Amino acid sequence: MKKKKPVTAQDYIEVGQFYLLNQKYAEAIKQFKKALELKPDAQVYYQLGLAYEASNETTSAQDMYRKALTLDSKLVEAAEHLKKIST
Amino acid sequence: MGRFGSNIARALASKGFEVIVVDSDENEVREFSDIVAHSLVLDATEERALKDAGISDVDVAIVSLGQNIDTSILVTLLLKELGVRQVIVKAVNDKHGKILSRIGADRVIYPEREVATRLAESFVSPKIFDYIELSPTHSIIEIAAPKQFIGKTIKDLALREKYHVSLIAIKRKIPIVTEKGTPDFNEDINIAPAAEDELLEGDVITLLGKYEDLERIEHL
Repeated sequence: MKKKKPVTAQDYIEVGQFYLLNQKYAEAIKQFKKALELKPDAQVYYQLGLAYEASNETTSAQDMYRKALTLDSKLVEAAEHLKKIST
Repeated sequence: MGRFGSNIARALASKGFEVIVVDSDENEVREFSDIVAHSLVLDATEERALKDAGISDVDVAIVSLGQNIDTSILVTLLLKELGVRQVIVKAVNDKHGKILSRIGADRVIYPEREVATRLAESFVSPKIFDYIELSPTHSIIEIAAPKQFIGKTIKDLALREKYHVSLIAIKRKIPIVTEKGTPDFNEDINIAPAAEDELLEGDVITLLGKYEDLERIEHL
């Protein structure tokens, strides 16, 4: 019998991206949160921010972009989105 | 001219309007020489000077004199006597505004109050992204589409019949994949949407209507 492969952060990220690209933002948020539990990463915080922004949850989106920038201050796209929704 | 007047002049000039800036302070005027069509150093309380400068021919005159109430009243009076078609005046308080209206100001504005009202509205309702007060009874708001509206067409929603508001535009985020292979989105604005257009999750709608009707939608 084959052993079941454990679900990785990358698996959750890919599913989250799938939902995000299909405009299923609530589902995307769930998946990115699961990915972050396994691996806190700037790019995932950024994508979670995108999902919040797309569902008009501005305050949560700002928080996620800030977290992304704390982990990677050079993440230009997070800085751009943060600036856009903060003005 | 103050900060308000300066900003108005810059904004109008950038939109291609022929703007004449008038101030008694040469330094203030010099700042605008490359920005607006004409910048004049003159005392706007001098009727002769206004006449010579051809101010009576302008379409709209905007009087913004900071806290200087007496001067703004005098200048407004002179502009109306000179036959300026539309005189818009910045007032600092209600009494000032009342006097300006009595002496013929076509429109009295309270910029600080308008900004404060707008800010207060956005605090009261975090769902509102933008707010423009059109009149004491009507405004335009930009708001996240309520959950009850998602998946329905404009025709189904019958906003005019049910809520007495008009839908002006739908702002939608269109997901894309960037060159780096990561998601992002572009924003698409559908002005004057058609009856068969459908509202989707994440849409932001712009509505025009009376305060009480808009408020009903905000609280859905």
